Amino acid sequence: MATSRSDPAASLRKDGQSHSPNEPPFRRLLIANRGEIAVRVIRACRELGIESVAVYSDVDVDALHVRMADRAERIGPAAPAESYLSIPALVDAARRSQADAVHPGYGFLSESAGFAEAVRDAGIVFVGPTAQTLATLGDKLAARQAASTAGVPIVPGLRVSLGDASLADLAEVGFPALLKAAAGGGGRGMRRVDSREQIADALARASREALSSFGDGTIYLERLLSPARHVEVQLLGDRFGGLAVLGERECSVQRRHQKLVEESPSPAVTPQLRESLAESARRIAGAVAFESAATVEFLIDADANHYFLEMNTRLQVEHGVTEAVTGLDLVAWQIRIAAGERLPPEVLAVQPRGHAFEARIYAEDPHDGFRPAPGSVATWEMPGGPGVRVDVGVSEGGLLPTEYDPLLAKLVVHAADRRTALARLGRALDETLIGGLQTDLSFLRWLVDEPGFAAGSYDTDLIAERWGDGPALSAEEAAIAAFVASEARRGMTREAAARTTGAPASDGDNRAWGARARREAVGRRRSR
Amino acid sequence: MSELELRVAGEANLPATGWTLAWSDRSRGIARISDGRRSVQVLVEGAGSAWVVTLRGRRIPVAVRTWREQVMADAETTAGGGGGPIEVRATLPGMVLAVAVADGDEVAERDPLVTIEAMKMQNEVRAPRSGRVSSVSVQPGTPVAAGALIMRIE
Repeated sequence: MATSRSDPAASLRKDGQSHSPNEPPFRRLLIANRGEIAVRVIRACRELGIESVAVYSDVDVDALHVRMADRAERIGPAAPAESYLSIPALVDAARRSQADAVHPGYGFLSESAGFAEAVRDAGIVFVGPTAQTLATLGDKLAARQAASTAGVPIVPGLRVSLGDASLADLAEVGFPALLKAAAGGGGRGMRRVDSREQIADALARASREALSSFGDGTIYLERLLSPARHVEVQLLGDRFGGLAVLGERECSVQRRHQKLVEESPSPAVTPQLRESLAESARRIAGAVAFESAATVEFLIDADANHYFLEMNTRLQVEHGVTEAVTGLDLVAWQIRIAAGERLPPEVLAVQPRGHAFEARIYAEDPHDGFRPAPGSVATWEMPGGPGVRVDVGVSEGGLLPTEYDPLLAKLVVHAADRRTALARLGRALDETLIGGLQTDLSFLRWLVDEPGFAAGSYDTDLIAERWGDGPALSAEEAAIAAFVASEARRGMTREAAARTTGAPASDGDNRAWGARARREAVGRRRSR
Repeated sequence: MSELELRVAGEANLPATGWTLAWSDRSRGIARISDGRRSVQVLVEGAGSAWVVTLRGRRIPVAVRTWREQVMADAETTAGGGGGPIEVRATLPGMVLAVAVADGDEVAERDPLVTIEAMKMQNEVRAPRSGRVSSVSVQPGTPVAAGALIMRIE
């Protein structure tokens, strides 16, 4: 903990001044996360001249983020509660590595006031809002109250607890309703309820899930607006009151209340609505005095009314969409703001340009209710070319542990207009090949050609109503698959024949093509 | 080589005609196929008779057996019961839906043993020959990789 005290940048921060523009904002930054977001933060650190420290649980010892970072610290066994959710283990790792800053990523402890406080108590800078802001906004109930006080419309709802007798109040909320974790995010701990009778059972499940995911089982009930569009506004704020409103992201393509595809700008948002959303977002931000990056989420009903859902005081998975249209590096700005920098006028007044999509590639079977399908990545071909960005969390031969989120990669495409961006997304998906496990790529490829989506006309019911479990295998697809497999088999037979006649052949007939994991013999355990 | 027997997701199928295939990276099973007008990249994984073709993101299991393999398989089952214990393995990656037998059961050749769901299709794993079942290592709900040991027949 003594390290940051002698750090000249840290002493400048105490005076609320910026560090010198010629030196890195921090010397060494620990990323309290894993997967693609850890890789993303490592890249930002490298560009800023900051040493990066990865953390890993036992199953992640050879993970991509561990191999990319400058150094790595083991934090515990695979179970999240004993590693990526363990405040003592993470703070200890930050101390051991003499990090002067900690970036929490998204998920895990990114919105934990307790974590932010523990990091700061250790004399280390937490890249994010103050613990107090996190406490207010991390409690979705307190956030609803803050929004309401600031004059922002909210969805009708109330707090419920196990054994709550005041179920009469539920009539006010109305059905269908949604149970949500007060400490939640990312769709976990959410349960739809269609009648009073379902409440008790759904409440118990949601509470249990919330407790295991967030360490807090408090639940609230909110009217389920459906169909609706899920639109969020990206904010970036410094500690001097500077606030940049960076446009919106449309996030209505969801399964299990979790986003799969996002775009900016939203095809449903008119200039007037955009201004109302920005005004609501500004009010909420002003009410809680936050710094760093945050997202204000809204639901928009069929009559273009908007309702505050929640404010996430962290980086979002889909931040790349906003980075594409604004040209800003949100992670770098988070770090620079944490070091005490002011947002310059060109950031405060940035005008989004063009259109961007993000497609999330998950190890899930879209033909079976998006069931997670973990495993090893046998083949891994990612797209490239103009306007295509790929953020990955695994590499070929890599293992996708069952303990964590099955996100494999994020594709972000950018072009001058929506039609061109959509064509680019289709092209990028066509270049993407993943073997060894089932992914949602077939859904994503279908979506690009879906007439409603192509026209920008869709809401949160899109997957349930238009995809279901996807179209049945067509006769043509089956015939093509049969053709390809027979060609593969023939090719193998020819090689076996060449080998028996003494010709050099690299492939044996007993070798499994593609499926063979090309696991690198890494074996590095880079703990210091 | 018209003797190849093809089963796509468990159903007998004829290969598409009018398509050509060019390997982009043969060692990794990456190819581009074309119908003369448009082309699409495909991935093919597998070995022997069990293959998975990924077409526009969709994994499609295909069984490819030569005439010779069919004859040999037939000969083996005709000789059935004479050999030592044989291993029954999953032909596809998927989820075990049902297990029709238990340790100690006597099965006849072609008796259904396990149903594996893959690509929303149910695929039956049948007894390659008659015998007594042992070492059943799966139950409904178990995810299995292609080639995973399911049980033995003695």
